[in-house]
Amino acid sequence: MGVTDLRGVSGESLNMTDNTEPTESGVCTPPEHTLHRRLFLQGAMGAGATSLLSWNGLFSLPAIAEQAKKQQKHCILLWLCGAPSQFETWDPKPNSIYGGPFKSVPTKIPGVHFGELMPRCASIADKLAVVRSMKTKPNEHFQAINLLQRGAPPREPFIRPTLGSVLAQQLGHLDSPIPNFILLDPCPEGNEFKEFKAGNWAGWLGAQYGPVRAGGEYKLADVNRLVDTTTQDFEQREALRRFLTKKYQNDRASTAAASENAVFSRVKGLMSCAELFDMNKIKPKDRERYGPGNFGLHTLMARNLVENGAPFVMVSNGMPWDCHVFQHEIYQMLVPEVDRIIFNLINDLEERGLLDKTLVVMMGEFGRTPWLNTSRGRDHYPDAWSLAMAGAGIKRGVVVGATDKDGVDVIEKPFNEKNLFATIFTALGIDPYVEYDAPDIATSYRVEDHAQPIREILA
Amino acid sequence: MTALETKTASPVADVKLTAAKSLKLPTAVLAVDAHPEGKRLFAACLDGGIYEISADSGEHKLLGKHESYASGVHYLSKSDTVVSAGYDGSLRWFSPAEGRQSRAVKAHKFWSWKMRVSPDEHLVASVTGQFLAGGYKYEPAAEREPSVKVYDAETGALRWALPHVPPTLSVAFSPDSRFLAAGNMMGEVRVWSLETGKQVATWTTPDFTSWGIIKSHHYLGGIFDMAFSPDGREVCVCGMGPMVDPMAGNGRQTWQRFAWGDAPPRKVLEIKDAEAGTGLMESLRFHPNQKLFLMAGRLAQGKWNVGLFDTASGHLLHAQDTKMRVCDSVWLNGGSRLALGGATSQERATKDGRYPDFGHIKLYDVSGQGA
Repeated sequence: MGVTDLRGVSGESLNMTDNTEPTESGVCTPPEHTLHRRLFLQGAMGAGATSLLSWNGLFSLPAIAEQAKKQQKHCILLWLCGAPSQFETWDPKPNSIYGGPFKSVPTKIPGVHFGELMPRCASIADKLAVVRSMKTKPNEHFQAINLLQRGAPPREPFIRPTLGSVLAQQLGHLDSPIPNFILLDPCPEGNEFKEFKAGNWAGWLGAQYGPVRAGGEYKLADVNRLVDTTTQDFEQREALRRFLTKKYQNDRASTAAASENAVFSRVKGLMSCAELFDMNKIKPKDRERYGPGNFGLHTLMARNLVENGAPFVMVSNGMPWDCHVFQHEIYQMLVPEVDRIIFNLINDLEERGLLDKTLVVMMGEFGRTPWLNTSRGRDHYPDAWSLAMAGAGIKRGVVVGATDKDGVDVIEKPFNEKNLFATIFTALGIDPYVEYDAPDIATSYRVEDHAQPIREILA
Repeated sequence: MTALETKTASPVADVKLTAAKSLKLPTAVLAVDAHPEGKRLFAACLDGGIYEISADSGEHKLLGKHESYASGVHYLSKSDTVVSAGYDGSLRWFSPAEGRQSRAVKAHKFWSWKMRVSPDEHLVASVTGQFLAGGYKYEPAAEREPSVKVYDAETGALRWALPHVPPTLSVAFSPDSRFLAAGNMMGEVRVWSLETGKQVATWTTPDFTSWGIIKSHHYLGGIFDMAFSPDGREVCVCGMGPMVDPMAGNGRQTWQRFAWGDAPPRKVLEIKDAEAGTGLMESLRFHPNQKLFLMAGRLAQGKWNVGLFDTASGHLLHAQDTKMRVCDSVWLNGGSRLALGGATSQERATKDGRYPDFGHIKLYDVSGQGA
């Protein structure tokens, strides 16, 4: 192994370097590998040799695997960072002075229209739940991203875990080779989102519930076993490494060694599912339906990961929705893309029997102003915005909440981030009101203030 | 000769704009034109409306409406007709005298980004194209309909349907009405003969297009307006320089001139670094005296959003900040007056439910422009 850039544990980038020089043949054979290595392998090969590119590979007993598979819930968050405009998507106002140049199209739900750039979503509106009355407070990206990712305002110095970390803990399996929280984000930048990405995602839950980041430039590098290393050799070396590191950890009471062991475990898991992160392995027909843009292809990757057992996958692509200028010019491309992606994702999950146990959430951190600025862009607007959900625990074909004729304010059923998180947890069968059991934190609950879920969209 | 000497040697070195009148419209002005006498203005507006406006009183009357934003307008003096274009993809003809629409032609499935009329008033050209993702890096997809359409101004009959890579944002006729040029988001310019419909030149300039690095991995920008030089030998294009964040709108205010008849076409002149601020430039017009040209748009950073440039040297002669985004411009009264159409920000409705006006036409007297 060379350097593995494994992003995500607690937001950190962990660069693991093995300085062992390869032999001429390219096979890594450090001297200690010859020392009694078979002694460490007893029992290890059984699990190690199992193919892990299938759900059954996660479990030693097929019956347990089948049972777990039936019960497993998943969540895909299409994180439309930068904050999409509700006017061009879920809550068009074509007759308003603020409506913009796009019209609206009727949907499968009688009397409900979406923006004209979303005809495919309109055709599956009977599978979606749309909330048109989100009303939150922060008006700036970082604060709003933080709020919508964590579900409650910050309370320093305690760091609340993000949605993905909570779901990783609640839906995931600690021994799963497929990471419990995967962040697919092909755009490594993103202004405030970049700043957020560099922070602590898992909060008081601990680093093991942080995301593994992949996508775009974030390749899962060096997770392929060298071609001339047999599975047996690999397992032998890994067992030796584990033994020595554990011994070091015990002798020295080293937390660093413990962290390293955790990272190695994760990398080993990634090695077994690396193909799921390989864009070249995507079928051309799927590529055509979701692509050609990188957001679509990474959403397709998320579908494949969920199909193979990943509990939570978040797909983002920088902050493309923050259109203070060129709003119409960018939206004419972005909205049709996301329309096609949502359409294919929902239909694919349904065809695969996964929609009823996979919650798909499509949202940004706030909405956009009704009024256009001088550049004919729309600015930040948390006062009245929209999001959509579909799948596990969610009623199909429902629109809840309403804004006034110009989309300036919510006139019916305002909901905030706490209502949203209560909805997501409830839909996934997770108790929203459990008190966190973590050392040295103030009394905190999964959803604060006993905020109610959006019952109108719960199945 | 130094730059300053070149500038001061210009026969129009003392050209100056003096604000004369400011007219308000309920909604943003995306295009503006005028009757040759300059008393009657015509505006294409964000509400889809095509308005006739008195340059003296500012009173305006609605001639008719597009079904989405109206993006182009031109007064045909020979037939006392107004032709317009809009985001509904249609071209429409209006009779100001009768106050009614006389013809509508569905030119495009998508928006008409820009419309121009040939100097001899025989032809109307309109350009279109939706930006759709065509590749992993969001390169624009190939066109789904002809990006350039040319119609007979008198009959509305289609003369030419010409290919380009969408979105095609700008279009211009040569002074002799024999050639048509069109530019797109990727900085590609194509020139066609209007006698044969054959493409006679093409080139690409990379200096108007952004690929977002910071917030978004996709392309944006392009050539927003263009004009042939008065002698017809050059095509001058304008827009905004590349940005790492396409949504910042702070690319360099940019124009470039190309000798399109050379093989291959070559850049002959461009805006001087020291004279440019930042912001999208959307309007480019040569003065009737041919000795200067105007570039105008939106100011992001710098001192001006309307600049007058010496045709010979390319130097900035005079500049102003109009405190609005300029979308279009037209010279009036043989060049002694200038009309700028544009907008400020839309605002919240007032407590009594009124929507504040945010469309503007600003009139300037032009002095020192020579004979």
